[in-house]
Amino acid sequence: METAVSAFGIKQTKNLSPRIQWLRDYYFLGVKRKWNNEYTAWTTGTPWDFQYEEGSFHIVPETYSFLRTFRSSFKQTALPVKLDSDFWNWSLPERRAWFVKEVMVNYLPQEMLPGDLIAGARFNIMTSACLDEKQTRDYLNRIEGKNGVRAALLWFHDHGYGNAGPTSGHLIPDYARVLAVGWLGIHQDLQEKYTALTPDEKQGNKGAQLRAMLTASLLPKELAKKYRTLCLTLAEDESDPVRSEELKVMAENLAIVPWLPPQNFWQAVQSLWLTHMLVMADENYPGPGVSFGRIDQYLYPFWKTSIQAGMDPEFGKEVLKCFWIHANTAYDGMIRTGGNQGITAGFGQLFTLSGLGANGVDQTNELTYIFLDVIDEMSPILEPKPNVRLHRGSPDKLLDRVVQMVAESQGAPFLLNFDERSMAGLLLQAKKAGVEHLIHKDNVFDYAPVGCLENTMVGNDRSGTVDANLNLLKAVELTLTGGYDLIPFTDEMTGKTEKPKRWGADTGDATRFTSWEQFWQAYLTQTRHIINRIVNLYEKGEEVRASFSPTPYLSCLVGGCAEKGLDVTQGGAELSFVTIEAVTYATTVDSLLAVKYLVFDEKICTMSELIQALRQNWVGFEVLQARAKNKAPKYGRDDDAADLMAKQVMEFWTEETWKYKTLSTHRQFRPGMLSWNYWVADSFILPASPDGRTKGKFLSNALCPSNGADINGPTANVNSVGKVLGGKASNGNGDWEAYLNLLPNGGSHTMSFSPSLVRDPEHQQKFKGFLRGYVENGGTALQINMINADILRDAQKHPENYRHLLVRVTGYNAYFTSIGKELQDEIIARESHRM
Amino acid sequence: MAKDGLFLHLQRLSTEDGPGIRTTVFLKGCFLNCAWCHNPESISNKVQVQHIETTCIHCGTCLSACPQGCLLADENGTIQINRTECDGCGQCVEACPTGAMELLGQSISVSALTDILLKDRSYYETSGGGVTFSGGEPALQADFCATVMSNLMEAGIHTALDTCGLASGQQLLSLLSFTRLVLFDLKLMDPQLHQRYTGVSNTAILNNLLLVRDTITRQPNTRLWIRTPLIPQATDSRKNLISIGDFLAKNLPGIIDRWELCAFNNLCRDKYRRLDLDWNYADTPLFTQTELDQRLAWAMESSFPSEKIILSGASRVNNVIGGE
Repeated sequence: METAVSAFGIKQTKNLSPRIQWLRDYYFLGVKRKWNNEYTAWTTGTPWDFQYEEGSFHIVPETYSFLRTFRSSFKQTALPVKLDSDFWNWSLPERRAWFVKEVMVNYLPQEMLPGDLIAGARFNIMTSACLDEKQTRDYLNRIEGKNGVRAALLWFHDHGYGNAGPTSGHLIPDYARVLAVGWLGIHQDLQEKYTALTPDEKQGNKGAQLRAMLTASLLPKELAKKYRTLCLTLAEDESDPVRSEELKVMAENLAIVPWLPPQNFWQAVQSLWLTHMLVMADENYPGPGVSFGRIDQYLYPFWKTSIQAGMDPEFGKEVLKCFWIHANTAYDGMIRTGGNQGITAGFGQLFTLSGLGANGVDQTNELTYIFLDVIDEMSPILEPKPNVRLHRGSPDKLLDRVVQMVAESQGAPFLLNFDERSMAGLLLQAKKAGVEHLIHKDNVFDYAPVGCLENTMVGNDRSGTVDANLNLLKAVELTLTGGYDLIPFTDEMTGKTEKPKRWGADTGDATRFTSWEQFWQAYLTQTRHIINRIVNLYEKGEEVRASFSPTPYLSCLVGGCAEKGLDVTQGGAELSFVTIEAVTYATTVDSLLAVKYLVFDEKICTMSELIQALRQNWVGFEVLQARAKNKAPKYGRDDDAADLMAKQVMEFWTEETWKYKTLSTHRQFRPGMLSWNYWVADSFILPASPDGRTKGKFLSNALCPSNGADINGPTANVNSVGKVLGGKASNGNGDWEAYLNLLPNGGSHTMSFSPSLVRDPEHQQKFKGFLRGYVENGGTALQINMINADILRDAQKHPENYRHLLVRVTGYNAYFTSIGKELQDEIIARESHRM
Repeated sequence: MAKDGLFLHLQRLSTEDGPGIRTTVFLKGCFLNCAWCHNPESISNKVQVQHIETTCIHCGTCLSACPQGCLLADENGTIQINRTECDGCGQCVEACPTGAMELLGQSISVSALTDILLKDRSYYETSGGGVTFSGGEPALQADFCATVMSNLMEAGIHTALDTCGLASGQQLLSLLSFTRLVLFDLKLMDPQLHQRYTGVSNTAILNNLLLVRDTITRQPNTRLWIRTPLIPQATDSRKNLISIGDFLAKNLPGIIDRWELCAFNNLCRDKYRRLDLDWNYADTPLFTQTELDQRLAWAMESSFPSEKIILSGASRVNNVIGGE
């Protein structure tokens, strides 16, 4: 039954104290603020020096034309740092560790906003690459040379394969360890490891790396000391005795943390923030999926202690809300140059709530609900980004709260992660990679997602979750042409069209295929080819990063680096993976289904007619296109035959992915499906596809069915998604209970619902049932848009009225008014599942 | 095994036809001919064809596909169906590349339907939902429905029967034994008005309601909801609502879980247009919330327990950008 929505309003903040209201309002003043966390750049003062390392941006095609400009502008504004007299005698990691510490402690000002309860303000820095002249030449040649990374990347992108590059962040540092043993504990451990080295090892790379990490491990202590002094000075000048007392307590906190383990909740949050912001400083990259993991678990002991000692829970929330504001200042990096004052898509400082623990026991606690309250009271706001883990045993109280929050906001104010399916994937990964001693039934429940929704283990895992983005659809194109681009690439700048060349595998003339099986086999060969290509492209960038861009501070927080004496950029993490995120999955499946239906099963057209239609972007072939769109089977309808083909596509590309490791850093490739926004951008590169899509119409997003294909409603959509991941083992022996999951990284699944679905308590209970059903049948992660198209259309017309309208797009949330028109149109076009 | 059924549409994740998450099976064919019917395509028990102009690309494929020659494109290129000649063979639907030609009514076997209905079992179980048979009138295809319902019951799935109340006692009884919830429509208490608006008197319907009462008294796991559509100037009078409430209170005391007043809905205008039918209510607006509250208050004046009366459906929205 169709229901008109009687009233809607944009989600508003609630229950904010004057302190937090002021900080929040001040934050949203954006570029008008006197204080901000804009990048500052710092140099060794050598003529060859540079700061901006473009590798992290190779997965952002929008930046390709600006890479040189970014590098030269940071270089131009960089201020010199007086170097230690031994600086150039040190190894590269030692130089980097010292340089970042020197800038953070002695060059960058320490500041504090009025009323703030957490110290640690500026952290967006661009530090010298610390390379000597020869290293710089070598680096630039390997990036910009004829056979360099950039040329290979541009070729790959221009030809519609996707993109790849070793990217910062996207991991969960071992914050829990900092809270348990303090940086002192980490420092002592490094000291012991260094002392245990042989003299030869001390002379070599291992020794250099550990010395660098030792230096880096002192950074939090030295910075805390500076902030302590600041607090004491401010306390003296403060006329309000209450605030003055607060500042004195903050100074006391900083005398303890992060060097020593915290003694209470306030100190724990202070320790966590300083430790976290320095990761972003160390990587010169603010918040790209540097995630917190199970924050309601590792902060809970401190919460309990403080509550027992008489802390008002509201004060605990106040501390968390300050933490919230700090996390959002990550966006200040490009506050004057970026659009929307630098606030664009979510950077994804993700934190995780609830979920399973040992022995199948749910881990929801009092602090889980406190976090949910803070989310509710602070939103709409982008950072940090919440993720709630659900499973069969999730308590009703938690689900009731989750559904209530979904009902009250435009999009769910959090991502939902599903434990059973997620853990099955990670256990499969353990088998495939031979790391069952590191991921097994007795610890897999401690997993957490990073960035958008990418599942990893915690504290010892870097899985390169956004590093390799592959358009599966390219394999269909190459199958149709026997290895050529369907339409030769034309350079927009020069207008020159490339001579046709067989870039792909020679799989023969598709017009001579007499059976579907022949086409399918050719498709598999081309899939092998494109996976091989992305692996080779990634290797080029990975090798450069491993040689030139150590992050010794971060390495202190990743298990395995100290033990191996290897930087995290060199494969130091105990769990070292690179994730190939497949893009265009449903478009690929639907295209294969359409070829089978149109050419082989129904013989509606010949292969050459189909190829001709695609070359002409369907112009002149509108009836055939309509049949491809409307009559050919599609993935996402719970149609077992179509979903079987989808599963075969999934099985093949994932199996192929497991065959590779990086050569330079020995990281195992693993499969996932996160499409970020590539499914929009690359739709202008990939030609028309057999599913009826014209060039420029959006490709499918991550694991989602193609736009509008899911005509059998949300449950059918969910069932299809679960099936292609592997569903459940018929004998009950899956990788976790009966569950199977071919994507250890997980896959992004977005669904839009009409607000009428949760309009009253009775319907909210039904939606709760839907989420519990998703646990049984669905994927690893779900993002909910609770929105009606009318609101969106009006927001498009009158953006000024909807500045804070948050929508979720493939795992990152974004302000609707800040995203491009095309993506806005796409969100509007997405069929809202009306009830 | 029962012969195949004729259905219109399956709605999965249905939340308006009984408890929890359900799949609603809309069957084809109805005994009544209500003036306000929201599903006019469900009334005839024959397969019908309709044309959806917005999906049409005017390729003309359907024109040559029709063996009877009963399709014509008018001067605007819009497809016109000669409904007296069309026998619903479906060849134009098969040929149409876009889905603009649509078949209203598809045959389905008991086992095929059962298989589809079982696909959402997880959601039924997690939400306390199940399957609802609606229409049209399920009792018109009693054998078919009873067989599917018995399969579902065997699989442990909750079943609901949404009925207009007009059927032979035998048909109704055959369904009731496989039904866990009866959604029984009661529209008008006045027999003449009932005759006028639905084409039949309500005598048999009221008798059947008593039959349902007697059956579920013996079958205590089966529950009963009454539904009354609120239709402007037809069923929404104070007198009608109070008489229905009083009748229920007097004759079915304590066995009705809920009496639902379903607000008039005009979103089905296009359905009439596509079937080339006029509809008296095409320009009738939705109730305002105040009007709906008034009708609820009238129902509550009856001797039926107020706490069991609920209002559902849409009200008129003012000041909504682009609203209905």
